[in-house]
Amino acid sequence: MSHKWLDNNTFHYSDFKDLFGLVEEKQKKDLKISLCLPTLNEEKTIAKEIIVMKSELMTRYPLVDEIVVIDSGSTDNTVNIAKSFGADVYDANEILPHLEKFKGKGENLWKALYITKGDIIVYIDADIKNIHHRFAYGLIGPLLLYDHIKYAKAFYDRPISIGKNKIRPTGGGRVTELVIRPLFSLFFPELTQIIQPLSGEYAGYRDVLDKIPFPIGYGVETSMILDIYEKWGLDVIAQVDLDRRIHRNQDTKALGRMSFAILKTFINRQKRSGLIELKNNLYDEIIQYNLVESQYQPDALKIVGFERPPMIEIPEYCEKFNIKN
Amino acid sequence: MDSFLDSLPALVDDIKAIKDIIITNIVLIGQTPAPTFKEKRRGIVFMERMAEFGVDEVTTDGYRNPIGIIRGTSSEKPPIFVVAHLDTFFEKDIVHNYTIKENTITGPGILDNSLGVGVLLSLPIIFQKLDLAFESDIVLAGTIQSIGKGNLRGVRHLLKTWPTPIRGGICIEGVELGRLNYFSDGMIRGEVACSISEEKGIMHKYTPNAILILNEVINGLMKLSLPQRPRSKVVIGKISGGANHGKIAYDATLGFEIRSDSYKMVKSIYNDIRDIVDGIAHENEVGLTIKTISNLRAARLKFNHPLVKSSAAVLETLGIKPISKSTESAQSIFLSRRIPAVTLGITYGENYYTSKATMEIEPMFKGIAQILGVLKAIDSGVCDEP
Repeated sequence: MSHKWLDNNTFHYSDFKDLFGLVEEKQKKDLKISLCLPTLNEEKTIAKEIIVMKSELMTRYPLVDEIVVIDSGSTDNTVNIAKSFGADVYDANEILPHLEKFKGKGENLWKALYITKGDIIVYIDADIKNIHHRFAYGLIGPLLLYDHIKYAKAFYDRPISIGKNKIRPTGGGRVTELVIRPLFSLFFPELTQIIQPLSGEYAGYRDVLDKIPFPIGYGVETSMILDIYEKWGLDVIAQVDLDRRIHRNQDTKALGRMSFAILKTFINRQKRSGLIELKNNLYDEIIQYNLVESQYQPDALKIVGFERPPMIEIPEYCEKFNIKN
Repeated sequence: MDSFLDSLPALVDDIKAIKDIIITNIVLIGQTPAPTFKEKRRGIVFMERMAEFGVDEVTTDGYRNPIGIIRGTSSEKPPIFVVAHLDTFFEKDIVHNYTIKENTITGPGILDNSLGVGVLLSLPIIFQKLDLAFESDIVLAGTIQSIGKGNLRGVRHLLKTWPTPIRGGICIEGVELGRLNYFSDGMIRGEVACSISEEKGIMHKYTPNAILILNEVINGLMKLSLPQRPRSKVVIGKISGGANHGKIAYDATLGFEIRSDSYKMVKSIYNDIRDIVDGIAHENEVGLTIKTISNLRAARLKFNHPLVKSSAAVLETLGIKPISKSTESAQSIFLSRRIPAVTLGITYGENYYTSKATMEIEPMFKGIAQILGVLKAIDSGVCDEP
């Protein structure tokens, strides 16, 4: 297998640190850029993300035109804090309210397409502890400077928080290495060149993102890569080393649930494309066991794996953006 | 100067208008760990930010203190220094991620002194936004190796090797807003360490216990007669030792600080403590040593020095009540070199030396305005009288 893509389409954020140059390029191309932060109870990190991005990429360098928070119904102070630091905050349920309501990161990202105004949309998780504006400009850079690139995905060194105020220098990425990479190796070896397909930070042109479906939950990162790869090929994708991202460590059971959703998304896609055949439908529940008073008790969680259709199929969206299908 | 003083309260809102940039500087600096002697990464961030803000010259001195210089309008006037120490108490493996809430920022080292450094970094853009110019060059320095065993080496070197006279200095500390330090006590920080080899412990009829040996040292310190004049005191600030509850301690250390108006008295008390330590070591046949960690000579500006009077006026104009105490900061190095200098605090805070150190955001804008006021005062000549 050729590693041409890895060599040609892999960047480091410092390749794009000339922010003045990026702003010039953006203005020359007459583009608008939206930054979307999907949230659910992120009061500890949301203010910092907004302030750093606003200071560096709006006040000092007008690279980003709007910061939009799409909230899934936080019960902590996330919404008030985000508003007080100047972000445009929306309750996901109030966007396209006539549609059936779902809760999940993918749902928020999909609805952000309707709410935001940008030609480029940058998605950044709201739980990044060591936020830096490189997380945004590093992803915007390849989209502005390379005409063939339509979607940019982050990868990092991933220290994880352990115990009280301590970090472990390397780690994380277990679902990538145990689930995604084996799947890609089996079905699409070319995609294994994507170092961290599950990273939560990516940016893309609206006219790409609005043409792909969005799973409402964990599967959204995998599906984006598969769909963009299928429709436009690997060359429109770039990956950018954003250095270090410190995030919450998740327990094995949470990773199991994430893997279930990703596997389901993957298998359903391959079934749809005819690559695999299933005699039965997949089940909707992940069943995990807990040891309670010397007895194993099942803990079943339903993960339906619902997907939103491409936004371009939503009439209100087409009307708002004056798109004629 | 009087007209600037009058305009100072109105500047608070102008400074607040760029709070995103100021807070970002505090966060980006604070999230880069900088334990004493390991400040290199923070120094790089400091210089990168200074360069981004269009400072005329960004460099390091021979000791690697990062420096930004904003050129003044007059080549005749000596430079004014604004300094904040780069190093913090926290090691690199501690999570240095800050949490911002509506009116607070929390994180390790924020009060001592990431806040001070973040504000220092913000001064160039504040000058630009407020259209402030100075006759003197303004030298903005993040000094390394200040805390503990660092013994203010960074600022000592910076001032010692600076090639021109220096007009005056402002030292920025995170807290507390209202502090107006213009004098420093003489000070020696020392450490008494007791170490008993396990082999020697077996040879003793009664195995000595390092903690109990230090207890004898403490008893000796308690019996010291300290004079009322010059005002003097000994603080026992740190003690550690032993391995577990049921085992005799083979190692223990005691940290102390001697302070006095007179450095001669500080040295005299230190010699008394050394005699106590030598005596106990001899009587108990144990390894008991004393060493100096850091020291400062007493130095002061007079209360009626124009810089002190002007600084007090600046604080009062902003509705801040000035509070004067001795400080063991970089200011003492300025004063010992006969450079007039004061130390100012930026805001209020709590949990100073813990990983949950928290600063208040709102008072910070007055804290920054006071720096501008004092800078203008120095630039107008309050430090120029011999």
